[in-house]
Amino acid sequence: MADLEARAVTKRFGGVLALDGVDFEADAGEVHALIGENGAGKSTFIKILTGAVRPDEGEVVLFGEPLAARSPRDAASHGVAAVFQELSLVPDLTVAENVWFRRERLTPLGTISRRRVRRDTRALFGRLDFPPLDPDIEVRSLSVAERQLVEVAKAVAGDPRVLILDEATSALSPKEVSWLLDLARRLAAGGMIVVYISHRLAEVREVASRITVFRNGHSVGVTEGAAASEDEIVSMMLGRRLERLYPDKEATATEAVALRVRDLRFGHRLRGIDLDLREGEILGVGGLQGQGQLELFLSLFGVLRARGTIELDGRPVKISSPRAALAAGIGLALVPEDRQNQGLLLPKSVRENVTLAVTKRFSRRGLLDLERERALVGDAIRQLSIVLSSPEQPVGSLSGGNQQKVVISKLLLTRAKVLLLYDLTRGVDVGTKGEIFQLMRNLAREGYAILFFSTDLQELIHVADRVAVISDGSVTGLLEGEAITEDRILRASVAGGTAA
Amino acid sequence: MTTFALRRLGQNRPILLAYGGALALFAVTSAFSPGFASANHIRILLIQASFVALVALGQSFVILGGGIDLSVPWTLNGSAILMTLFADGQNRPLVWVIPLLVALGGLIGLVNGLGITALGVSPIIMTLGMNVILSGGLLVYTNGSPTAAAPAFVETLATGRVGPVPYNTLIWLALASLATVVLTWTAFGRHLYALGTNRMVAQFSGIAVSRVTVVTYVISGMTAAFAGILLTGYVGQAYLGMGDPYLFASVAAVAIGGASILGGSGHYLGTIAGALILTVLAGLLPILNLNTASLQVIYGVVILATVALATLPGRLAVTR
Ligand SMILES: Nc1ncnc2c1ncn2[C@@H]1O[C@H](COP(=O)(O)OP(=O)(O)OP(=O)(O)O)[C@@H](O)[C@H]1O
Ligand SMILES: [Mg+2]
Repeated sequence: MADLEARAVTKRFGGVLALDGVDFEADAGEVHALIGENGAGKSTFIKILTGAVRPDEGEVVLFGEPLAARSPRDAASHGVAAVFQELSLVPDLTVAENVWFRRERLTPLGTISRRRVRRDTRALFGRLDFPPLDPDIEVRSLSVAERQLVEVAKAVAGDPRVLILDEATSALSPKEVSWLLDLARRLAAGGMIVVYISHRLAEVREVASRITVFRNGHSVGVTEGAAASEDEIVSMMLGRRLERLYPDKEATATEAVALRVRDLRFGHRLRGIDLDLREGEILGVGGLQGQGQLELFLSLFGVLRARGTIELDGRPVKISSPRAALAAGIGLALVPEDRQNQGLLLPKSVRENVTLAVTKRFSRRGLLDLERERALVGDAIRQLSIVLSSPEQPVGSLSGGNQQKVVISKLLLTRAKVLLLYDLTRGVDVGTKGEIFQLMRNLAREGYAILFFSTDLQELIHVADRVAVISDGSVTGLLEGEAITEDRILRASVAGGTAA
Repeated sequence: MTTFALRRLGQNRPILLAYGGALALFAVTSAFSPGFASANHIRILLIQASFVALVALGQSFVILGGGIDLSVPWTLNGSAILMTLFADGQNRPLVWVIPLLVALGGLIGLVNGLGITALGVSPIIMTLGMNVILSGGLLVYTNGSPTAAAPAFVETLATGRVGPVPYNTLIWLALASLATVVLTWTAFGRHLYALGTNRMVAQFSGIAVSRVTVVTYVISGMTAAFAGILLTGYVGQAYLGMGDPYLFASVAAVAIGGASILGGSGHYLGTIAGALILTVLAGLLPILNLNTASLQVIYGVVILATVALATLPGRLAVTR
């Protein structure tokens, strides 16, 4: 019998059968990957293991004992810790306070000793060989990637027997990813059961000893990590072969500059960025994590007030807010970094979310034309094949990948011609990634200008027409055509101005 | 259009619950007290409910957007007193007095809204401060002396009727319809719900968050001022402190009506049921033959219990 075993687990949400008699096994000492398309039921399964969701049928057995966790806290007391796909840190507490949240050892007076919390965090970070991060900084000011790292530390801090990582690398840069993979391997070697969920198959094959594949609420197979080729895994996931992930690059870029940025400055995060984004072009933005890429996107979208000049279609524009960005000239629209806090109204319906930025498009004499709205939403859902039971469903109940599709359809409806795509494919499955890249190419062909940031080097290499590498707040390399290689991007990332 | 309104209502369990509660309470009270359900008394109940409901109309908009307006008592009171002073018992001046006072209410809301959005003062502090300023200002201005009686026209507005229906109820119906249309069928309504649900998402979606916020406070100031005018007509005169009960009542009506006090969900249709419940409750308690102090305690406890019940389904849904 396996150390962690789930038998015939079934879960229904209203009319949706999220899990249908799923069996699952993992052993201590292994990193066990769990993969599957968006909406396959991975997160639901994890939520059942951790007691966040109660199964309708089936049982979970951990080291021979039935585990019926009533809440994630209860699960933690049984040694099951998880990093959930939807991050759950307390924004107003510091990194250290979050790591030990509700687990603080108290002083004799019953208060929390900040000094101790800090010291424990430093010790933990040392033990984990943690990427540099100030334990005293408030979580509110961290990027999504940094929050993911803190979640990992928090989960590991309790020395669990089972560690579950649900897309914990989705926002991480390659360097941080390899740190986390190392950590997972080390923890497993120490006798932990590590369950690892990711849509990045290269990672999965690298780290996992075994891979369980979910499709449509069923477990459709288990394979050895190294034994199966990526193609085979993908076929198992999708139930069909994936013809290709990346569409051919096409020379769709014209001479016309859609977005011209000159000497963009924001504190010490942006130190004078110059960029030319042409109509029909996909311009990739690369570099190590936190070199100013996020600030660049936020400045262009008017969230941050940066200094410098921005021209749209040859005309200087002043962008003081997202509203101004959407309305300026040919329009600037953003897919934001943080889907939960910037992209979507989670409790509201898919319909309201899709049309939120374009309510004007279906108003007539001040009143909303709801028929027209329904039609717009219907088209959007079809165009991106969003999987849902009804457009009236709260967007928060969609799977992560389908939520991201809602964000994209919201962006497309704005009709802005300059698209700022920040980590667009985060949490999106391979099949859908392929569709999204094709969509980007189609948009470029239609004359859209696309600025594209990704933490995944392969995406930059295979999708972007040119790649601007940003280091320490300025562009340190501009690669084109054959020159876009992993090696050149990495070299420009650390070179600081010499690789152009 | 109507089928959509019904569907929307159907989706909103808390709102239906509130209407169910109002009906049940009404039935119980009528059983105890013959005459409670007479046409005449129902008219009186509707008129009494309209004052809370009007103040709570603006309050609904503010709360839906994630704010709160604690300045309604003295906005109402100020408008009531200035109306009697300016009109001095005459009907004629009302042509300019009523619009002026409603506009003044809007101005108070504008200042609240700008303080909150432009200066970043928290809604509680800003509107509470405004309330204190208004009450002090009125005391100084009136010197604490009594004012003139309400002009006849205002009394007619508040208590007269066409056929079986009070004017007052017609006015309320018109404003309620307007509020419903704005919340359900306008971009502004959509933006307001978005704002109350998640300010940052609203901002990233290109919504003019500050402007929407300010408008909600302006609406609240205007409805409070207008309620003050009607209430003076009902009571027959204006007096210091007449707005005080309307702070708690307006917020309670919104909450009982199923709106989230944190913003983003709810509807004025629910608030109406909340106002009805509060009014029937105020009619039921005297029947119990208790002294006023005990009544206050029971009133408070019942309202808190109702709010807890009304928000229960929402909380259960979250912990599911
Ligand atoms: N609270 C809920 N209410 C309604 N449906 C839900 C709820 N939670 C999940 N679902 C549905 O269950 C199915 C499985 O979702 P789940 O989040 O487990 O997918 P996933 O495999 O984690 O996908 P992703 O890779 O996109 O994160 C989806 O169709 C989703 O819409
Ligand atoms: Mg998931």
